[in-house]
Amino acid sequence: MPDPAISIRNLTKVYPIPFKRERVTAVHDLTLSVEPGQVYGLLGPNGSGKSTTMKVLLGLVPASSGSTQIFGRDSALVASHEEVGYLPENPYFYKYLTGEETLRFYGKLCGLSGSALRDRARDLLKLVGLENAADRRLGGYSKGMLQRIGLAQALVQEPRLLVLDEPTAGVDPAGSREIRDLILEFKSRGMTILLCSHLLGQVQEICDRVGILHNGRLVREGALESLIAIENQTQLIFENASPDLLARFEAEAAACGARLVEKTKPHTTLERFFLEVTK
Amino acid sequence: MNTQTLQPRHQVFSPARVSAIASNTLLELIRQKVFYFLLIFALVLIGASFFMGFLRPELQFQVMKDVSLGAMSVFTWLLAVLATAMLLPKDIEERTLYTILAKPVPRFEYLLGKLLGVLLLLAISTVVMSGMFAATLYLKEQITIAGAIQESKLTDPAQIAEVVRNIKASTFSWSLVPGVIAIYLKAAIFAALTLLISTFASSWIFTIVVSVAVYLIGHLVPVAREYAESGGGAWFARDLCGLIARLFPDLQLFNLVDDIVAGNAIATGIFLQTVGLGCLYVAVYTWLAYLMFAKKEL
Repeated sequence: MPDPAISIRNLTKVYPIPFKRERVTAVHDLTLSVEPGQVYGLLGPNGSGKSTTMKVLLGLVPASSGSTQIFGRDSALVASHEEVGYLPENPYFYKYLTGEETLRFYGKLCGLSGSALRDRARDLLKLVGLENAADRRLGGYSKGMLQRIGLAQALVQEPRLLVLDEPTAGVDPAGSREIRDLILEFKSRGMTILLCSHLLGQVQEICDRVGILHNGRLVREGALESLIAIENQTQLIFENASPDLLARFEAEAAACGARLVEKTKPHTTLERFFLEVTK
Repeated sequence: MNTQTLQPRHQVFSPARVSAIASNTLLELIRQKVFYFLLIFALVLIGASFFMGFLRPELQFQVMKDVSLGAMSVFTWLLAVLATAMLLPKDIEERTLYTILAKPVPRFEYLLGKLLGVLLLLAISTVVMSGMFAATLYLKEQITIAGAIQESKLTDPAQIAEVVRNIKASTFSWSLVPGVIAIYLKAAIFAALTLLISTFASSWIFTIVVSVAVYLIGHLVPVAREYAESGGGAWFARDLCGLIARLFPDLQLFNLVDDIVAGNAIATGIFLQTVGLGCLYVAVYTWLAYLMFAKKEL
């Protein structure tokens, strides 16, 4: 059986408060596992411990207790980072570098060089739709472009795991959809993705499994469909059903002891509507 | 995706990664237009060389060397402190550091790369300033020789050669080179020290203030040592001075320029000792910076 892409066991992270005896427990006894190829949504309100969990996983802060592993390797070991691509929330990168220079810089950090690096940078720029902005400095990039170059740098060494912290924060709906489509493409390629987001609709569209953190504790965890399904209710959607047919259904249901909870027309999403009118 | 072809095996220490960070740091500093300070240095050079006409030629050259090398020392030190102070806080504040350390980059390599980038910048600056200084000195020398010959109305080639020799004796000398190297070393020490302070400082202003304080105290270390060893005065003042002499770098050891400008040659042994001491300071401060940074929670 292959190692989980992410394995977090009894992780606790406590931050001391400077000049005070108090301590803040950001993450409390967290245990979760993300299997290879899964898209996992880590949800929670601000201050719930999502970013701290990601930072421990990436070796940016040490765990107070417990363990974190990436594909079976201790994530505190630098070598384990070969398997990870990370996009932080609101990344700035180096404004004085162009898009291509940025990718080449991150590529060199991953041991790439020469024509392999050059080709990889060009492929990624094409993948994220920035080939026309390759020679522009990042200082002139829009928020959406910065997020896309951020995604490209995260992918530069072709990692098996992608950690994305609010990848669409501050991006307009069109840009947000582009990024979401890219994530879906990575998912279709079999990449494992850990996604932190406040946009629950987007998480619902993308993720296979979610965990909800609250006050540093994992309060719910499981497959998305099973978590959000209402077990004692069933939804039927008809097309071109006459009022007469619907009345017969309702009568039959009532005769069998079922209660009609809601009768409504399905809606499109505001996002789809917005994109249609601004196309 | 073919992961096997792109991912080379992780190396514990990679000169290529360090070089990538160093060259990126250098590029960052260059694109921030830090070299504009060279214009101010050029103005100092012009001031020192062309507004001392009322002095004797030999004295003019001495003042010029004194002022120019003094300015070079202050500018390289200032550049070292200002360029280094913001590197780490800026990367943390803008979260660029997260993306770098999330790659297979050990923290030591990141710090070393940053420091080497600044050291490269300082080396380029020192070479450019030395070039400007040497060129100005040569220009001034030629003007002074032409003026001296014209004024004295000499026709005898032997006498002209004597005048030229006398003037040249007080202008450029290769003995200036160790002085310039010592200036660079002092700046390198401050780059490493500033990097160390920035690993625990809460702001870059604090980093700069502490670096400036160390610079001032570092020049007073010989006085503090002398006082501590004198046996006079109050015991706590002696102990305090003794502590200062032990804790702070003795920056007067790197002031070879004063002796050189005064015409005293620097013995090779002293010069090598200074270079060794400078490298040791840089190595120790860099190692301490790593120890602080290794456990830093980002």
